[in-house]
Amino acid sequence: MLPIDAAAHSSRWRHRHPVDKAVLGLGLTVLAISLPPWPGAALVLLTALAVLLGPAGVPGRRLWRAYRVPLGFCVTGALPLLVQVGGPDGFVTLAGGGPVRAGELLLRTSAASLGVLLFAFTTPMSDLLPRLVNAGVPAPVVDVALVTYRMSFLLLDSVRRIREAQAARLGHITRAATWRSLAGLGATAFVRAFDRAARLQTGLAGRGYDGTLRVLVPEARVSVRFTTASVVLLAALAALTLVLERPLT
Amino acid sequence: MSPVSQETGQGASTIHEVLERVCGAMHIAEGFLPPAHAIAWSVASAPFVVHGVRSLTREVREHPESTLLLGASGAFTFVLSALKLPSVTGSCSHPTGTGLGAILFRPPIMAVLGTITLLFQALLLAHGGLTTLGANVFSMAIVGPWAGYAVYRLLRRFGVPLMVTVFFGAFVADLSTYCVTSVQLALAFPDPSSGFLGALGKFGSIFAVTQLPLAVSEGLLTVLVMRLLVQSSKGELTRLGVLLSGKQNRTETETEVVAR
Repeated sequence: MLPIDAAAHSSRWRHRHPVDKAVLGLGLTVLAISLPPWPGAALVLLTALAVLLGPAGVPGRRLWRAYRVPLGFCVTGALPLLVQVGGPDGFVTLAGGGPVRAGELLLRTSAASLGVLLFAFTTPMSDLLPRLVNAGVPAPVVDVALVTYRMSFLLLDSVRRIREAQAARLGHITRAATWRSLAGLGATAFVRAFDRAARLQTGLAGRGYDGTLRVLVPEARVSVRFTTASVVLLAALAALTLVLERPLT
Repeated sequence: MSPVSQETGQGASTIHEVLERVCGAMHIAEGFLPPAHAIAWSVASAPFVVHGVRSLTREVREHPESTLLLGASGAFTFVLSALKLPSVTGSCSHPTGTGLGAILFRPPIMAVLGTITLLFQALLLAHGGLTTLGANVFSMAIVGPWAGYAVYRLLRRFGVPLMVTVFFGAFVADLSTYCVTSVQLALAFPDPSSGFLGALGKFGSIFAVTQLPLAVSEGLLTVLVMRLLVQSSKGELTRLGVLLSGKQNRTETETEVVAR
């Protein structure tokens, strides 16, 4: 199982309805990209961080490991904003206001990422996917997504084992051997995926498979209190941004 | 689509390697695009994804067992993008997997499988994002597969050997994905002095340094994987239509040779 999903399964908010967590987490993300980066995104960032490490109980180390991935892209993507191409001072020069634009972008992206991470770290995919049918996603697409999700872990595990076996047989010792091993890995993943699908099909056919994958979804109700509190928090953040925007800029 | 850690397990000795590690995660991160751009790219992606969903739904209704095969294809696409790919310059990153996916499963199905994979990557691996899902789908699940598949089909039509077409299909799919991402970023953040073109040059030059060698690597890996699949999974490849067209083309070529 992947670290974020594993954390979601053991989260304090695991049994809350996904809608509760979507309102809060994705609401924070929407605020982060719609409000002015300063002070709006900064406030959202602090709030998301406080909720993640406080009430949601996400371990700081796990959060950082997940968070550094989007940060890497943001830093690379923000670098070009520091310079400008062309103009009277030379072909490539420092852009006026570039650092401010890059800083605002980093702030907005960091805050938005934390909002999604709040949702991801508290909502297992297996709780979310079956409920997408209620949100209007066609059932066959949800079924394919469910099979993809469940099979991905098995395949990732297989690939890890094959990789270890290849390494034990000195399969990565030279560049040519590495390429050969990698190709074998890709081809074996394909063969195993299709073989597993064929065996699943045989097993399901024996149980009267009619084209619908029925899975048990843990029962949960949308909490009016939680959702209302989330909406109040989001509204307060928006109001505070509007109040602080003029004095702080 | 590069979902796992960018760690190579080796020391980063050059700026190029550092860049390659960072740029390997080419999904546009959460909140990176302004709201108007995020919405516009979602709208642009929607018709392709809806078309793919219709194809998939029709396929599943007609053949219920396809659900499992399509799920397996999605899992394969997800896992393929997790493989560590040695770049021709020495360091490593991850393949996008869009070229091989498009050749095996066709672009409309890849639009849906790619969207599912990108959703998983956003929620399970913090790669990409939900507000930027539309933009990422457009580059990685639509333009990449369609461009790669178009080149693959075009070369097949001219009787080019299967492995050469597979290489160029994967190469073009990978490269076009990154070109579109650069365009998306340049549109969102035009250069203060030279506008869109200047910004395209900036983003393009940063990513071209790493992505050109990676596109070559992905092409090579796809050829090696396909060679093994031709030996081990003839049945599946024939069912997917990859080998059937190859045989037809070969027969056509042989007929031409005999005729001459």
